[in-house]
Amino acid sequence: MAKRRDILKAGAMAVASTPAIFGGVALPRMAQAQLCRPEGNRSPLTEPDSPPVRNYTEPLYIPPAMQPVDPASLTPPPDPNRHQRFDEFLPAKHYVQHFTEGLWNYHPDLSRLNPLNDVFGGFGSIAWMMNGATPGETLVARYGEPVFVRRYNDLPATENAYMPIGLPYASTHLHNAHTASESDGFPMDFMGPGQHWDHHYAMMYARNDPREALASLWYHDHMVDFTATNVYAGLSAMAIFYDDLDTGDENDPNPEALRLPGTYGKYDNYLILHDVRFDQNGNPAYNVFDTDGHLGDLITVNRKVTPYMEVEPRKYRFRILDGGPSRFYELGLSDESEMFVICNDGNLLEEPVGVTSIVLGPANRQDVIIDFSRYRVGDEINMVNIMEQINGQGPTGRRLEGPERMPVMQFRVKPLEGPDNSRIPDFLRALPPVNLDEVVAEREWVFDHDMGLWTINHDFFDPTRIDASVQQGTAEIWTFRNAGSSWAHPVHVHFEEFQVLEWNGRPPTGVLRSRKDVAMLGPNDVCKAFYRFDDFLGRFPIHCHNNVHEDNAMMKRWDIVPNSGGHHGGDSKWRR
Amino acid sequence: MKKTTRRTFLAGVAAAVPVAATAAVVPDAAKDNPAFKTCPRATGGKNAHHFPQVLVQDQYKQKAWFYEDLLANKLVMVSFTSVRGEDYYPMLSNLVKARQIVEDRVGKGVHMYTVTTDPYRDTPEDLKALAEKYGAKWRFLTGAPEDIREILASFNARGSLYGLTWIGNERTGRWMKKPSQLQPLFIAEAVGRLSTGKQHKPFLGDMHSV
Repeated sequence: MAKRRDILKAGAMAVASTPAIFGGVALPRMAQAQLCRPEGNRSPLTEPDSPPVRNYTEPLYIPPAMQPVDPASLTPPPDPNRHQRFDEFLPAKHYVQHFTEGLWNYHPDLSRLNPLNDVFGGFGSIAWMMNGATPGETLVARYGEPVFVRRYNDLPATENAYMPIGLPYASTHLHNAHTASESDGFPMDFMGPGQHWDHHYAMMYARNDPREALASLWYHDHMVDFTATNVYAGLSAMAIFYDDLDTGDENDPNPEALRLPGTYGKYDNYLILHDVRFDQNGNPAYNVFDTDGHLGDLITVNRKVTPYMEVEPRKYRFRILDGGPSRFYELGLSDESEMFVICNDGNLLEEPVGVTSIVLGPANRQDVIIDFSRYRVGDEINMVNIMEQINGQGPTGRRLEGPERMPVMQFRVKPLEGPDNSRIPDFLRALPPVNLDEVVAEREWVFDHDMGLWTINHDFFDPTRIDASVQQGTAEIWTFRNAGSSWAHPVHVHFEEFQVLEWNGRPPTGVLRSRKDVAMLGPNDVCKAFYRFDDFLGRFPIHCHNNVHEDNAMMKRWDIVPNSGGHHGGDSKWRR
Repeated sequence: MKKTTRRTFLAGVAAAVPVAATAAVVPDAAKDNPAFKTCPRATGGKNAHHFPQVLVQDQYKQKAWFYEDLLANKLVMVSFTSVRGEDYYPMLSNLVKARQIVEDRVGKGVHMYTVTTDPYRDTPEDLKALAEKYGAKWRFLTGAPEDIREILASFNARGSLYGLTWIGNERTGRWMKKPSQLQPLFIAEAVGRLSTGKQHKPFLGDMHSV
């Protein structure tokens, strides 16, 4: 155990340098350790910087697709009684995942600092992984082909874990598939070390309506109180759903097929962004005492720090996800050239929207098509973040300029390897109709702050309390209101997608005219959304997807209950 | 050195130690810059660097180093209130229930502290009376106002009312928090979840769906 005199000695020896900003990130680590956290200054800029890392030296990691297993190999066999409507949606594909602790090479400049390399006999930063990688393998699935995933928690008990944060319990949420409650990753449905949990994904459209299809999803841990840290530790990955319209095949002979750039892993790629701060040993660092949120100083894409990707001069589809925990992004290309947004939160728009930047809050996804045919072989184009954010509460509203822009990743143009038969169609997928006559209830959810924690409708999360009982087969209008004037809350509701009716009193336009599952509320924003609730029963959460806010009580439980027929709505005060 | 001997010694030089320590470690760049305030940090435990190296005093006037003596290598529950604050935002009767559940269902050896948010007013005698009023059989901590402020800041506590109880296990370095007014079962459950070894309990009430 280090004695006080050790730190005194070290402090006295530390060579002071000029502090760059208030909080002194430029101070030597030992000297900085002696600074009091400034009162009133709520900024992770007072956390130590990550060790220096060279940008664009690591290739982008492209997670392979999950590989099915023989269902006969599952012991015990899947239990139909654990799942709603199992017999109607008999699994066509079975998968197995193991969650383990190990090393992940975020970047060699970090990995080589880690004394744990010897312990694990590897090279990397400490990580919690799925089948030995983070992000875990991509679930590539098709509507109409139900999926069964058995997930084993092989993480060590807390006292034996090298990961300094998080808790080795997990409840995996497939965001935002139309999944029955018991397979949806409710925060209390966690498995401990040595246990497993079965997930049944029906792969059905909501209401069997193809206009309700999702294309870009992700799965991540949802452990109560530990979602932010467990996801930060590595428990996040991607999922892609295809169907007869969005087939993933750009050469599809079916005239109905959109022929968007494909296939997965080649011209159709997922980019999951996590901002991470690393300690002096190259391991992820996190201040659990800051309930406002956590900011990393390095952007990782698919858990590689500022990687590069070689691209052909042709069209690519990128499904870009803000994996959190707390950072908001405005992403653009370094030459400010055009991209086409085709999906919002994983849902195809009716028409592509040309943009020069996209804005993402935690858990928001946007699919963009970038056409690299305008570049020459050898060109390098960077993706940068221009959204300024100085604490976990939300962005400042200021745009970063010039060298301030945060590097995200680099595209390097290589020679074309074949014809580009992909298209950017004028029309993608029709939105399902909004019929306000079906609405039986209106509810308001107010997001605020109280006593150091975050609240919804003035309450902290209580998993035993049902705050809304919605009747199966009905529609409701939900209003999300941000009561804070300086912070942002990406509001997420499980199970169903919504359509924006009004945002701050105005009808949605452009990219916002879509189905969504995360409403990124800026200060004082009000979003009025149309919902329908069908197909499954059970409990689901509504929460802030700034995962740090979520872990700090900004979550509520709502249930889908059987329709009693004739009676609509839940509490009488909500009845129309 | 025996702990009791050392504590006695430290209590004698309590005022002098932090000052001396500060003087020794202020980096040159920070010395003349009024923007920087320095204070020594605790050492030796999983999250030691996060906590100030300060002395506190309980309702029996027992002095202790906040981190080394009260948190390091322990399973703890830390709450925050004051004699006046308890009138406006009561939590002690709820925490008494939570402690009872912890003792019944998780086990002994959980260290519980309530830090005053009003160190200017609350004397050890005041806190003794407050604890006895609610039958709270744990340590209520006060100290030099500037030291208590550093403790409050390390828990992100601001203002004179702060409604969170922090539950920590410094053997594993894990911390979480629950609203002090939450159902006491959930507060106790967090203690069981952060416990290790035989005392570890993933939950006190099984809320799994299947």
